[in-house]
Amino acid sequence: MSSKKWFVMFIITVLLLTLGVAGMNILVDPFGAFGDKVMQWYTYDFTKNPRVAKIAYMDQHKEEYDSFIVGSSSTSSFPVEQLDRYMNARFYNLFMYGADMYDVKQTTQYIINNYKVKNLVLNLGFINAMRYKVESDPYTGSLHYKTEQSSQFDFLKKYLFANPSYSLEKLRAYKNDSYLQNKYKVFEVGTGAYDKSSRDVENIQAMPDYLEKYPVFKSYPKDRHNLGSIDELIEDTKLIKALCDKNNINLLVLFPPMYNEYVQNFSPQQLTEVYTRLAEVTDFWDFSTNSLTSDCRFFYDSTHFRNAMGKMALARIFGDNEIYVPEDIGVYVTSQNAAEQAAAMSRPISMDDESYTKKVPVLMYHDIAPKSTGPLVISTQQFEAQLKALAGDGYTGVSIQQLLDYVEKGSELPEKPVVITFDDGYLSNYELAYPLLKKYNMKATIFVIGSSVGKDRYKDTQNPITPHFSYGQAQEMLKSGIVDIQSHTYDMHQWAPFEEGKGEGKARTSITRLEGEAEDAFIDNLQKDISLSRKNILEETGNKVMALAYPLGKYSEVSEVVLSRLGIKATFTTKAGTNTLIKGLPQSLRAMNRFGITEDISPEELLERIK
Amino acid sequence: METHMEELLRILKELRPDIDFNEKKALIDDGVLDSFDIVALVGEIGETFDVQIGVEGLVPENFNTVQAILGLINRLRDGE
Amino acid sequence: MSLSSASFLIFLVSTVALYFLVPKKLQWMVLLAASYFYYLSYGVKIVGFLLTTTFTTYVGGLLLGELNSRRKIRVKQLGREASSEEKKAVSDRFTGNKKWVVAGILLINFGILAAIKYYNFAAENTNVLLGLFTDASFPKVNWLLPVGLSFYTFQSAGYVIDVYRAKYPPERNFFKFALFVSFFPQIIQGPISRFDQLAHQLYESHAFSFDRLKYGLQLMMWGFFKKLVVADRTAVIVSNVFGNYQKYSGAEIAFGVFMYCIQIYCDFSGGIDIIRGIAQILGIDMIENFQRPYFATSLSDFWRRWHISLGAWMRDYLFYPLSLSKPFGKLGKYARKKLKGNLGKILPVSLVTFIVFFTIGIWHGASWKYIAFGIWNGGIITFSVINAPVYEKALKRLHINPESTCWKLFQILRTTVLVFIGRYFTRGEDLMTALRMLKRTVLHFDLRNLAGNVLSLGLGAFDLLVILVCCTVILGIGYLKERGVHIRKTLEERNMLVQWLVLLAGLAVIAFLGIYREGYIASEFIYKQF
Repeated sequence: MSSKKWFVMFIITVLLLTLGVAGMNILVDPFGAFGDKVMQWYTYDFTKNPRVAKIAYMDQHKEEYDSFIVGSSSTSSFPVEQLDRYMNARFYNLFMYGADMYDVKQTTQYIINNYKVKNLVLNLGFINAMRYKVESDPYTGSLHYKTEQSSQFDFLKKYLFANPSYSLEKLRAYKNDSYLQNKYKVFEVGTGAYDKSSRDVENIQAMPDYLEKYPVFKSYPKDRHNLGSIDELIEDTKLIKALCDKNNINLLVLFPPMYNEYVQNFSPQQLTEVYTRLAEVTDFWDFSTNSLTSDCRFFYDSTHFRNAMGKMALARIFGDNEIYVPEDIGVYVTSQNAAEQAAAMSRPISMDDESYTKKVPVLMYHDIAPKSTGPLVISTQQFEAQLKALAGDGYTGVSIQQLLDYVEKGSELPEKPVVITFDDGYLSNYELAYPLLKKYNMKATIFVIGSSVGKDRYKDTQNPITPHFSYGQAQEMLKSGIVDIQSHTYDMHQWAPFEEGKGEGKARTSITRLEGEAEDAFIDNLQKDISLSRKNILEETGNKVMALAYPLGKYSEVSEVVLSRLGIKATFTTKAGTNTLIKGLPQSLRAMNRFGITEDISPEELLERIK
Repeated sequence: METHMEELLRILKELRPDIDFNEKKALIDDGVLDSFDIVALVGEIGETFDVQIGVEGLVPENFNTVQAILGLINRLRDGE
Repeated sequence: MSLSSASFLIFLVSTVALYFLVPKKLQWMVLLAASYFYYLSYGVKIVGFLLTTTFTTYVGGLLLGELNSRRKIRVKQLGREASSEEKKAVSDRFTGNKKWVVAGILLINFGILAAIKYYNFAAENTNVLLGLFTDASFPKVNWLLPVGLSFYTFQSAGYVIDVYRAKYPPERNFFKFALFVSFFPQIIQGPISRFDQLAHQLYESHAFSFDRLKYGLQLMMWGFFKKLVVADRTAVIVSNVFGNYQKYSGAEIAFGVFMYCIQIYCDFSGGIDIIRGIAQILGIDMIENFQRPYFATSLSDFWRRWHISLGAWMRDYLFYPLSLSKPFGKLGKYARKKLKGNLGKILPVSLVTFIVFFTIGIWHGASWKYIAFGIWNGGIITFSVINAPVYEKALKRLHINPESTCWKLFQILRTTVLVFIGRYFTRGEDLMTALRMLKRTVLHFDLRNLAGNVLSLGLGAFDLLVILVCCTVILGIGYLKERGVHIRKTLEERNMLVQWLVLLAGLAVIAFLGIYREGYIASEFIYKQF
């Protein structure tokens, strides 16, 4: 072959490859630059470049929304569902991680000029005054050419001929995708917010455990951060305000909660400058310095607070009494109090832990019998002795609803609360335990296995088993207000030897993925089981299920997320230990510890353990 | 009395007993002689033939073959 | 404009097109214009340095050339009858003047180099010493660093010395000379070419040739392959390990340093391949700068295969002049008398070798670590030269055939280890860091769970596999070349489909596996704080 021919071949191959790369980049669209019309996997695109992908997405869905919240990543923690409710609007969270004021201004201008906008919430973190127009990365940190009003040609060139590895990477991620939120898909497409499904079910209780998990808060780094772009923050806010006024848009400006030790890294002079100058432009709500900002459990890093905190902040603005809100959570700042409020930021806060946290022990019983026949079968006599001791020591039995009210609404609990629980739903609970609970006025909760309610024979195989109480008896107990009925699954606590045709490892003894079971199938089975359990309890007794005890105490992140999405607000394991509930932090109700009670535990010993 | 050629071959033999210098045609270009050998060789030649080989003479053409080396020596002896 | 940027490719295509479209006599002017355009893309101010060097060495060359020809005329005038003493006296007079000129020119140019590259280093260390006595100190200066400074300085210094030695007459056309100093593909990273090898090719006219175009493109592809697919990939691990060495066990650090050995070879030789490929398209043959250094059997062999043009420069302009200088001649005589055996014979040469490597160390940059690097290489080579007879005896005793494959492999392995240790110094943050990393490698060499830990250094299994496969390909092709196989010729004899598949594979690998954007890492998602 002549060299000339080779060269022609070379040119053709280069052209083909170039076309191939461009074609793949359009079809796979790893940055969402072309609207991701084929794969429509927007959460991936948002994660890769929110500035570009969110605009490309919103251009296709602008009819569905009429209000927007804009800012950097802390903006994500203000739940849009709540804003929708308060403002009777359809909000979209257009936040971009790492956004500076330039990103915010350009994006805001674009949406006001191109979409119908009723309300605009502007969340200004310090990040918006720290730098300006800094593009972290040309592919993942750049703005859409429409928002930046830059060259469409450059934009297309960049994303058409982007390294094909980006597309391959997206395809690989797609293939290996799983149920849980993952590093490559951290957005909820419908709301535009971060997918916090995993963060929202993290078990968060005592401070020392939390510090082990998030060591950065152990001794938070002292540093000096400079607010070098205050002028730009003020100018651009002015511009946005003017634009909103002109277009009759309702503007709400916020300063988000920030971890207090982080705030101490800023100079008081600069903070004062920001607040006083901003207050000249617009009034705003300031959440940067409230008492909870000294409790790191409401943060997962210094500038990122949990959704629970955002929820309280919004409740404060809109005067929602249904939600627990600490008194000092937000201040409405005007030019009158701006300097004063800025000064408050530089004062370190410490909070009295006792006022919003509570230690709650949970006891776990199973069967009761006149005479103990094994460690887990407690004799009536011992059970009564234990109840007597608890009452005598000042303990009050509380329901799970009371725990929920404490966490969500801030209602107080008795001074010494104890949660008494029974697993499985044995007849003895009704015949022997219930009268004693009534006698000592101790509230208790029974977690029933749906498939065995009212049965004394194992389902299908008809093997005799310990008898279980019926829905009728459950209803009677419920009516008394002493006993609550919750879920122990419908049929995910099987007993392998009695299961027909199921060998070792095939019976579903707990909420765990079976060997060889696909993730999808497992989740599907779990959802069906819990829904059935809840439906039966609701239909037969009228009681709503909001708590679940994990069979064998086994759980996983997947099961926590699935249950939480089904509305199960409190879950219980079999790990011994007390619990710390935190007002305003529903995560403190996840995977709670329980003391397993056996016949050999004397009343004194019981009191000693739960102390 | 040895001829210059014999003397030169003796020096080379002493320097690198492993090489047959009559065979090789590209002592430098093929890397048979390295810079250490060259420096040693220049020293020996200087003493034996009473000539001074300057740096400018150290080019591959002058050292690639025994004949070339001899040529260099003769040129220098003629006082060019 | 980096060699792998899109703008460079556009610049290159336009230059090549223009080069072959203009009348042949103007070709060199196109090259000159392109070279300055390219250099200006790195900054406008730095051109001043380039022009200074070009101008001084140009004038220096003219002066030396003038003195050379005058000397020749005077010697001729003396006639055949004159004694050699008389001739010598005339020569010496001119030599004296030439020495002043060459010294002046070199002083200016190496002075600029030293001031820019070494001033701060010298000032810092002097200040430490001064600090013992007074409060006075030399201030730190932020020089702007002209790109390719040491490459073009060495190249033009070589020219001046060659003219001084009357190796060739000087170039009289200033613009042609400026092209020699600034020729665009090579100015940033070499190779350091010789005037008599390169310059005439730059000035001659070249007809377009599809053969050259093909070979040039193939060489460039090979260079891009090494640079974009291998070097830029290993860079991820390298910067991670060198940046956070405290986090890693000795074995992981060693792995990182090994990756650096791969990176620096593929990056440097890949760049040179691209440069030589470009030159080849233009009809210009540039010297080789690498000759499969990974097959070197000794450290001195390594330095003959690695950055060849620098080694040759050092040999011709430092090693030979020093070795043949009077002081070292005297030292040689003295040593041979006083010291017995091999040591006496080679002491002066060893000393010069040591000086050369010390200089190579300093050439790399102003830092103690480079000095340590020079000492390490010089020390090992000197040591092995001095002990060469001992080795020979030992080999004979042990009945090892020095020509056997096993022994060769052992030698290659040994050399690799020596080079590997040297790399701690070239890449480590500073001398102390390099030493601490070495210490950690030796004292905390922990092989447990290495396979898992290697995956935590920044690259996933896929990328590591890519590196492994590519290195095997590079080694395999290197081995064939070492055996004298002409790979391109062999390939050309195959049918069109095979040739096309090879081409497609090559281009596809570069397009799909190349990391052709700074900072791109497949597994990295910049945002983790969701």
